Amino acid sequence: MRPLDEKETTQVFEKLFKFTGPNLKHLLDRPAVQGPDAEPGRYCLRLHRNRVDYASEALVRRATAVSRPRLAGVGTPIGRFTHHGAFHLTAHALDLLAAHARRRVWLKPDTERSFLFGSSVPKSSLARVTENAKAGDGVVVMSMADVPLGFGIAARSAQDCRKADTSAVVVLHQAGAGEYLREEEELM
Amino acid sequence: MAEGPAATTIAASSYEVDLGNLMAYDPSHHIAAASREELRQECLRKGTELAQALADALFALPPNEDRDGPIVHLSLPTVRLPREKHLPKPKPPTKWELFAKVKGITKRKKNKREWDEQTQSWKRTYGYDRVNDDKDIPIIEAKSTDEPGVDPFAQRRDEKKKRVEKQEKNRLENLKKAAKIGALPRLLSFTSKCCFPPPLYYECLFVSGRNLAELQLSNIFCMQSIQLAAKALPIIGTKADLPKKSRKEDLESVVGMASSATASGGKFDEKLPDEKPPKHPGKHRKFLPVAEGKGMGSLEKQQNDKILNSLLARNSDEPLDVGKASSRIQPLT
Repeated sequence: MRPLDEKETTQVFEKLFKFTGPNLKHLLDRPAVQGPDAEPGRYCLRLHRNRVDYASEALVRRATAVSRPRLAGVGTPIGRFTHHGAFHLTAHALDLLAAHARRRVWLKPDTERSFLFGSSVPKSSLARVTENAKAGDGVVVMSMADVPLGFGIAARSAQDCRKADTSAVVVLHQAGAGEYLREEEELM
Repeated sequence: MAEGPAATTIAASSYEVDLGNLMAYDPSHHIAAASREELRQECLRKGTELAQALADALFALPPNEDRDGPIVHLSLPTVRLPREKHLPKPKPPTKWELFAKVKGITKRKKNKREWDEQTQSWKRTYGYDRVNDDKDIPIIEAKSTDEPGVDPFAQRRDEKKKRVEKQEKNRLENLKKAAKIGALPRLLSFTSKCCFPPPLYYECLFVSGRNLAELQLSNIFCMQSIQLAAKALPIIGTKADLPKKSRKEDLESVVGMASSATASGGKFDEKLPDEKPPKHPGKHRKFLPVAEGKGMGSLEKQQNDKILNSLLARNSDEPLDVGKASSRIQPLT
């Protein structure tokens, strides 16, 4: 477990920025609620093997007592670095992103299943979109009951969504809650 | 396959047999095979027929009886084979050619004999007994800039030697430039055996039946390439295959590796008098500490802030969210 170096931090921040925008600052500056310490520290990112975890400082300090081969993770995993050094956000980051993301997309009730199975969101499944979504933005996909289902990249801006035809892809699926069932072994 | 023997004999006469290349070709052949095995059988059968046609044509030629057996002279080939190698790339202009172009200097033909004023006779422009030979200068007048004790004849000889060396260097540079872009002809394998013109010439004749002028030209090219090979380039292959001379940095890194390749990492070894300390002691990458004192230390916070700020600065193309602003407008009372 070690802190990320500059290059890695840039990569992680860039990916997160697509979802949170300027809220990213809040992500790192807010007082921590995890951990046994009475006095809240802040949250930080730590790299363990090739996984990036988001944990409070108190947790991290406790985790230094666990030996490296035995440490499974600290706090919430956000994503992982691939073999060649690219960073991908994983499904575990859903809670965090859902809390801090700027753009959301609501799906119709019958079409939730299709998204959970890993397909992209066509326009026909869209119930609501936040107003100022732009193409290439990170977007959190929610059900009508405001339950976060997953996240992805917006393929079109909010205005273009209205003009597009019903089968046009609106959100490209990146990760979703369905992965917990479908790809259980791979997630850990 | 369904044709009878009659059809095959008719077809046989329509094969194109090129005796010069010892080739037989059936222009009307269509392969109608379904499986791989059938295809194989079909090819073998057809090949046998064509080989038979070729043999018939060969034995139809009038033979000369030799002590080794009947000898026939094959006619010249009718089918022109395509080029084996690519077209030769144009040579880049040499340094002199570039200079001459800029200055507008054109080539002028020199005569073989020139009138020598000194001996009042016609002498060659080059070679034995030539016009302006250095050897023929009897007296060199001393200039005021001359130092005593300096031999002007030796000086002239040295200068000439330097000029010749410089010219040779330039010539090789030009060849190298041409070789770099692939404009020099590749060396044929037989040139690696010897560098003398006569055997080269005969072997050229044996290998390729082209005409003499082409051969002599290619000889000259090959000779030049051989000279280049003698200097720097490998006989076959490119410059990348040459063993690279070890650079100072390579040697230094090897020395560093060797000096730390002991059980205790080279820490307790006696250093030589002029040896410098190793440049990368131990760790090659430096990471921030995992947990610095009480919580996130200043270094990590600084790094994060720096990256965050630059990211925000780069993407601050939404200075004003018009939707939000318009919703906040309050009517003036």
